[in-house]
Amino acid sequence: MNAYRWSDLAVGMNHEFVASFNEADVADFERISGDINPLHTDPVYAQAHGFQSTVLFGMLTSSLYSRLVGVYLPGQFALLQGIDVHFHFPCMANETLSVRGEIVYLLDAPRRIEIKASICNAERKIISKATIWVGLHD
Amino acid sequence: MDNLLNEVQNIFRNVFDRPDLMISRESSASTVDDWDSLNHINLITAISKAYKVKFALGELEELKNVGDLLDLLHSKIKSK
Repeated sequence: MNAYRWSDLAVGMNHEFVASFNEADVADFERISGDINPLHTDPVYAQAHGFQSTVLFGMLTSSLYSRLVGVYLPGQFALLQGIDVHFHFPCMANETLSVRGEIVYLLDAPRRIEIKASICNAERKIISKATIWVGLHD
Repeated sequence: MDNLLNEVQNIFRNVFDRPDLMISRESSASTVDDWDSLNHINLITAISKAYKVKFALGELEELKNVGDLLDLLHSKIKSK
């Protein structure tokens, strides 16, 4: 885990990591969120509606933005203040997802970081884009 | 200064997502619904970006109402 302090941060700092979600992760998210929409849970339904298989929950893939901020950029001292996510392309279980975030704006008072982030699949298609606002705690 | 109040009022409306919000120099966190600490950060961020100015922490701590904010912002714009 990174533990950047305010004085360590600068516009242009970035971090990238890869992750994937399997069927068990999907089942866990369905149980935790209560989202039982068949597009995410029923392969027959998903295929009947034009998808090759069930589509990963957008909010499950977006949880990777939480990891980006809370573990890497800035890491331990992060306080997530807001996030604006837009979804561009569906993805399925077991796909390799690349998450990248870069600091684009620093506001000294009150201390706030603005991060532009995205999640891509192995073919570099953009799954989602996000703008994330983060403060730092002591 | 009236123009500045109108411009800042539009920023308030965007941040608070209230198109009909009316503010005055006397408006403050105690008179505007939802003006909590996080929305205060959102507000200062939006104003900083809109006018390309930066505030010092001490300056922000001395603000009591919108009038103080407008005066501070006006001085920042003039000294650019």
